[in-house]
Amino acid sequence: MTAASGFSVLRPATLAEAVAAAAMPGAVPIGGATALQLDWAAGAARPGLLVDLTRCAALSGSGVEPDGGLRIGAAARLAALEHDPHAAAGAPLLLAALRSVAAPPIRTRATLGGNIAGRTGCLIPALLALDAALVLASAAGERTVPLAAWLAAPPAAGEIVVAVLLPKPSPRRVETARKIGRRAAFTPSVIGVAASLDIGPDGRIGAARLAVGGGPNRPRRLAESEALLVGCDVGAADWHALRGALLEEIDAADDGWRSRSYRRRVAAHAIVAGLGGAFPPHPGPLPAGGERGQGRALPVKGVRAEDRAIPLPLAGEGRVRALPEEVEVSHRSLGDRWRIRPDVQAKVEGGFRYLTEHRAPDMLIGRILRAGRPHARIRAIDVGAAEALPGVRAVVTAADVKGENAFGIVVQDQPALAADRVRFAGEPVAALAAVDAATAERALSLIRVDYEDLPVVTDPEAALAEDAPRVHEGGNLLTDLHFVRGDLAGAWEGCAHIVEATYLTPRQMHGFMETEGGFARPELDGGLSVFAGGQYALRDRMQLARILGLPEEKIRVVTSPTGGAFGGKDELTVQPALALLALKSGRPVRLQLDRAESVLSGWKRHPMTIRMRTGCDAAGRLVAQQVDVVADAGAYASLGPGVLETALEHACGPYGIPHVETRGRLVYTNNGLCGAFRGFGANQMTYAIECQIGRLAERAGLDPFEMRRRALRRPGTPGYLGQTVGPSERLDEMLAAAEASALWAAPRGLSGDGAMITGIGFAMNYQGTGLGSIPPDPGGGRLALAPDGKIEAAFGFDEMGQGALAMIQAVVAGALGCDRDDVRPIVGDTALTPESGSTTAARATFVAWKTARTAGPALAADLVAAAALRLGRDPADLAVAPGGIRDRRANDAAPLIGFAELAASLDPLPQASAAFEFPKTDYTRGNARFLFISGATLARVAIDRVTGMVRVTDIEQHAAAGPIVDPAGYLGQIEGGAVQGLGFTLTEDMRTSGGVFLEKNLDQYLMPSIADAPERMTTFALEDLDPGDPFGPRGVGELGIGAVTPAIAAAIADATGLWPATTPIAPEAVLDALEGAG
Amino acid sequence: MAKVPVQFTLNGSEKAEFVESGATLLDVLRDKIGDTSPKAGCRQGTCGSCSVIVDGELRLSCLTLAETCEGASIVTTAGLAEGGVLHPLQRAFMDAFATQCGFCTPGMIMAAKALLDRNPDPSRDEVVEAIAGNICRCTGYEPIIEAVLSAARSNSISAA
Repeated sequence: MTAASGFSVLRPATLAEAVAAAAMPGAVPIGGATALQLDWAAGAARPGLLVDLTRCAALSGSGVEPDGGLRIGAAARLAALEHDPHAAAGAPLLLAALRSVAAPPIRTRATLGGNIAGRTGCLIPALLALDAALVLASAAGERTVPLAAWLAAPPAAGEIVVAVLLPKPSPRRVETARKIGRRAAFTPSVIGVAASLDIGPDGRIGAARLAVGGGPNRPRRLAESEALLVGCDVGAADWHALRGALLEEIDAADDGWRSRSYRRRVAAHAIVAGLGGAFPPHPGPLPAGGERGQGRALPVKGVRAEDRAIPLPLAGEGRVRALPEEVEVSHRSLGDRWRIRPDVQAKVEGGFRYLTEHRAPDMLIGRILRAGRPHARIRAIDVGAAEALPGVRAVVTAADVKGENAFGIVVQDQPALAADRVRFAGEPVAALAAVDAATAERALSLIRVDYEDLPVVTDPEAALAEDAPRVHEGGNLLTDLHFVRGDLAGAWEGCAHIVEATYLTPRQMHGFMETEGGFARPELDGGLSVFAGGQYALRDRMQLARILGLPEEKIRVVTSPTGGAFGGKDELTVQPALALLALKSGRPVRLQLDRAESVLSGWKRHPMTIRMRTGCDAAGRLVAQQVDVVADAGAYASLGPGVLETALEHACGPYGIPHVETRGRLVYTNNGLCGAFRGFGANQMTYAIECQIGRLAERAGLDPFEMRRRALRRPGTPGYLGQTVGPSERLDEMLAAAEASALWAAPRGLSGDGAMITGIGFAMNYQGTGLGSIPPDPGGGRLALAPDGKIEAAFGFDEMGQGALAMIQAVVAGALGCDRDDVRPIVGDTALTPESGSTTAARATFVAWKTARTAGPALAADLVAAAALRLGRDPADLAVAPGGIRDRRANDAAPLIGFAELAASLDPLPQASAAFEFPKTDYTRGNARFLFISGATLARVAIDRVTGMVRVTDIEQHAAAGPIVDPAGYLGQIEGGAVQGLGFTLTEDMRTSGGVFLEKNLDQYLMPSIADAPERMTTFALEDLDPGDPFGPRGVGELGIGAVTPAIAAAIADATGLWPATTPIAPEAVLDALEGAG
Repeated sequence: MAKVPVQFTLNGSEKAEFVESGATLLDVLRDKIGDTSPKAGCRQGTCGSCSVIVDGELRLSCLTLAETCEGASIVTTAGLAEGGVLHPLQRAFMDAFATQCGFCTPGMIMAAKALLDRNPDPSRDEVVEAIAGNICRCTGYEPIIEAVLSAARSNSISAA
C-alpha cells in the first residue's frame, strides 16, 4: 500500500513562510500528522500539499509570560509536554489530560496545536477549563482569541495556531479532568470533561470553568452550571444540584457506540465526582463500606484524571491452590517443566519470516476487487481497461474459474469470485496481478462492474419470513436443528422457579495481527504451490483443486507459520485469488489484505440470539430447559452448521436436565461472513446457561455452588444428546476448586473512596473437543530419523502462534526418551506432512500425543536395533536417550552413539507413522462429542460508578484437561483465551447497518489493550486422568475463552444486581443498574 | 512521482535511499531496505506493530514519513542483538512465552525498550502505560508485562 504517497511536504522555518504555505491552494497544515490516515479512512480528501509546522521556530518552545501566564508553542509535542517543567508548574490539569491522549508512540509526534486545530481533540476540555487563549496567525497578521470564542466561530481558512496562552493559575483551586473512552487505554473519546474552580481565601468559589468536549462532542464551556458554583463555599457546595444542572446543560453527540444520554450522564458524573468526590445516587444499600455523603466537600485536591480502576489488591495471598491436587500453571511454580519454544528466537529477533513476507524478483502483486455493496446482481464486468494497463499481468473473474466456482467446508455455496451476484460487501468480484502495488491499485480502479442492487437482508429473524428477500435461491434458512427429551410441557408445572431470558452475543472479529495473505507460484510440472496462513492444508488443497479443476497432487499447500488464526483462517481466505492469478499470469504472485480489507471480508463469530427458559424445583434441582437459538450465518455457510450444532450440544452446559427442548436456526443474511472462531458456539451457549443457573440460584435461595452441585451431570452418564461420553470427567472437582478459591473470598463491595463497586462471579466451563461423531476427524503423524540426526516429527496441522511446535517436541521427546531439542517439528505443508486433521477444536495436542505414543515405540525400537547392530550390543541393553542411544543400565546418561552418527550409518532411515480417528462417540443421529474437558472460571470486576464501565481486575481459571504437555503453551492458551473472551464480553462487536460493517479498522473495533487485561490472572490445572483412561492430554485452545463471559456477568450481577444479557455489555446498562433505573 | 533523497542510520549502519515523497518509514524499512521487523498491522497508528525508535523516541513507522527522518538514528528490533547476544528484552520475551504468533513482538519490544531506556526500573503500571499502544491478540498480555519487568530486573543486576 502506498496510503501516504502522492503529496509533497513543505517545512517552513519561519512564521511568515508557514502562513504563506498554509494559504496555498489545497494546503493542509500538519503537526505530528498522527491522525491523517484516520481522516483519510473516514473519507477526508487527500491533500496535495502538507505544510509541516513542527520546524517553525515561532511555534516551538514554552515559557512563563511577564504576567505569570504560560505560553506553549503549538508545535510542542505531547510527550515532551508531559515532562515540561513550565507546564508541570503552571498547568497540572493539562498534564493530566495529556496522558489520556491516544498512546505513547502517538504522543511522541502529536502536537498541542494539532490536537486543538481539529476541534475534536481530547485536550480541549482541559484547555477550556484553564481559560486558554490561542495565538493565531494568517496573512492578515496575528491575533489572540480566547479558545472558547475561537471554538464558537467558524474555522478561518489559512489560519494557523501559533501558541496557546494559559493565564496564571489561582493559588488555590480544585481541578479535575477526565476522558471517558470505550476501553481502558488508547481509546476514542466517548466524552471528555475538565473543570477548574478558583478558590478564594474565604473558601468561596471565585471562578468556575467547566467544560466538555472530545471526539464527536462539541467542545464548550458550561456557563449555567458554572454560575451555580460561583460564590459557594467549596466546602458546602451542593453537588447534587450541580449534577442536575450539568445534566440539563451538557449536550453530547450520539455516534452509535454510546448514546447521547449516556455521554451526558457520565460527563456530569465525572465533573461532580472529580470536583466533589460525590458519586451518583445509588438506590439500595451499597454492598459494603459507606458512600460519601452527597454534597460533602473534600479538601482541595490534586487532579484526578486516571480513567482506570483503583487497584484492589487481594486480601492475603492470591495464589493459593484451591485443591491440593491442582498445580498452579506458571513459570514460577512449574519452572522445571517450563521450556522455551523452538520458533521464538527468530520472532524476538524480528527475523521470523511469515508467509506474507516472502519475496522473489519476478513476484507480482495481487489485489482483489470487492463488491462494496451487500447484495446485488452483477449485470456485467468489464476488465478491459485494467488488462490494458501497462504492468498488469493477469486479471481474473469468475470466467477464469476452470473447476467449480464454489467452496465451503460444509456446504459449497460460496463462489471463489462472484459470477452473477454478490451477497456481502467484501465479496471478491475480480482479482489482478501487476508488477507493483501502485499499478495494481490503479488497475483495480479501472474495472467496471455493473450492479443491480437487491434488497438487503440484515435481520436473521426477519429473514425467516416467507416473503423475505432471499440471499440464496434455496431460501434463507440454512440449518434447522431440533432436539427433544422428556416431557417439557408437563415439566414446567413441577418447577418452583423459572427464569426466562434472551441472550445476545456479538459478531466478534478474530483480530489476528497478521492479516490474511501469502503467495502462490506456478511450478514447472504444470502444478501450483500456494503459501498462505491456514488451519488445514489438506482441506485447503482439496477445496482449491475443486475450484481450479486441477488434480490435488498437482497442488502443494503450505499453511504454516501464520500470525494468529483463532478459527479465522480455517476456511479459505485469499487462496483462490492467489491461485487463479498465479496460474493465469504464469508468475509468482503475492497478496496480503490490508487491515481494512481484512475487516471487510474476513470471517467473524456468529452473532446469536439465545432464548432460554430454565426451571428448577423447590429444592433447586433443574427440571426443564427450553432453548431457541437464531444465529446469523452471514452470506455463506462455511462452518456455520457445525457452529450451531456445537452451540446446541452445549445447551445444558454440564448439567443434567431431564426435560429439554432445543431448537437452533442458522439464517443467511448479507451481514458479511461468519465462520469458525475459538469456542465454536460453545462459549456463546455457556454464557447463557451459566447466567440462567446463577439467576435460578438466586430465586431458589441457594448459593451458586450448591445450586450447581445439585445439577451437575454425574460422570459416566450419557451426554446431552444421549451419547456415550469419555472418561476423566472432573466437574465436581472444578466446582470444588472454585468454591475453595481465595479469589471467591476476596473483598467485594464499595472501594475505599466510593468510586468503584466490586463484585465476584464464577461460572463452570465445559467444552467438547474434536469435530464430533459425524464429520471425518482424521488424526495421525509421522516420526522419522533425518539424515542430520534430528527426529523429524511431521504433522499436517499448523503453528498459528499457539505453540504447536513446542507441544510436538514435548510429546515426541516424552514418547521416545530423547531431548526436546532432538525433535524437529514439521507442520502444515501438503508436500511434507501427513494427514493430521484440522488445527481446530483443541484437537492437535491429542493427535500429536497419540501419534507419539503409537509411532514412537516403533521408531524407538528401530533406532535401538540399528544402534545395537552398529555397536555389537544386545538391543535389550539399549534405550533412546537425549542426543542418541544409551546403555540403559549405565549411570551415565551420555549416549553411546549420537543420532547423527546413527543416521549416517543407515539407509533407509527409520520412520514410523500413525493414522487414526479422533476419539468418537457412538451417537450418529446428530453430531456429538466424546471427549469433554471442564473447568471453572472466577472473575472479579470493579465497576466505575461514574461511567458504568466494567474493569476485570482478576481472572482465575481452573482447568481439567489431562496432563499438561507444555506448561507455557497451556498457560498461553488459557490466558490468551481469557482476554479474547474479555473483549467479547466488554468491547468487541462488529456492528452492521444495512449489511455494511460500521467498524472499519482497529481504531473503531476495539480489542482489549494491555490496560484492559486483568491485573491478576491465575491458572490452575488438574492433570490427573481416570485409571486406564487411554486418551491422554486434551487441548485447551478453547477452554480459556469458554466461561469468561458468564463469570464476568455473574460478577456484575454480584455488584449491581444486573445479569447482563447482551454482550458486549453496555456501560449504560450497568450505569442504569447502579442508579436503579434498570 | 517525486523522489526525495534521505539518509539515516539504521541500527548503526548508514542508509541512503531515494524515497517517494509521502512514503512511510514503514514501507521504506520493509520494502526498500528489507528490514521486516516492523510489521504492518493496521497502517493507521492503532496497533503498534510497526513501532521503531527514532532518535531515542518511540515512533509508529506507519505514521512517520520517511523523508522526515533525514539524519535520524533509527533502531528496530532487528538491530537489538549485539554480536549475536540477544538484548535482555529479547531474552525475557523468550523466557516468559511473551511471544505466541510473534507478529506484535517486534513492536512490543520497541515500546518496552523506549520505556526502559528512560526508566530502567518501571512499575507494573508504568509498563502498562508504555505498552498501551501495542495490541497483542494471542497472549493476554500478562507474559509481556512479566517479560518487561524481568528484563528491567536483569538489566539492573547486570548494571550492579
